[in-house]
Amino acid sequence: MNAPVRIQQADFSQDEEIRALRSSSKRMGGIATFLGCARDFSEGRNVSEISFDAYGSMALAEMNKLRNEAIEKFGLLDARIVHRLGTVQCGENIVFIAAGAQHRAPALQACHWLIDELKQRVPIWKKETTPQGETWVTSHP
Amino acid sequence: MIRVIFFGPVADCVQSREMQLDYVVGMTLHDVIAQLGAQHPNAFGIVSFIAVNQNQVRDKQMVLQDNDEIAFMAKFSGG
Repeated sequence: MNAPVRIQQADFSQDEEIRALRSSSKRMGGIATFLGCARDFSEGRNVSEISFDAYGSMALAEMNKLRNEAIEKFGLLDARIVHRLGTVQCGENIVFIAAGAQHRAPALQACHWLIDELKQRVPIWKKETTPQGETWVTSHP
Repeated sequence: MIRVIFFGPVADCVQSREMQLDYVVGMTLHDVIAQLGAQHPNAFGIVSFIAVNQNQVRDKQMVLQDNDEIAFMAKFSGG
């Protein structure tokens, strides 16, 4: 089984991630997921693809910290975080987060918290390719 | 030796992903910032986070050790 926290070039399967999450406990009554995708339009420009760069070892360590903090803070039974690097075409997957808990409220809250924290704390940078050239994205709305 | 690494927009500005500086006993993070910031002002203008050995550091007076790894990073934009 794949590790619950990963950075990888290849696409991921949401079904496989959810299956792995569910296999960790039969007490899981609620699973919340977040899927981040590559948009084809940003800041008024068409975007053809997005490239990701990362401080890989620190990013992975920080994502593992986030998972552990979320499990503790929200009483989760398990959580998984997968983020892609390299070049992602528009419409493709970027990041997947799944949080499993006994009930829906902590699962939903943890999932929201995890993506917000990831954007602020994990050293990953995205560059959009547009007809006007390439632009590093500096905001994280 | 001090290993200095750059990623994303900062690496583009510096036009390099890595450089090495001679280690001098007692040198601080501020010394490295002053030296490299003068050489690459545009890059250091967008640096928002600094990590030493993968731990974020805010104290620029931090005394460095031989073989430390310093990352100068722009605001994150993953996800």
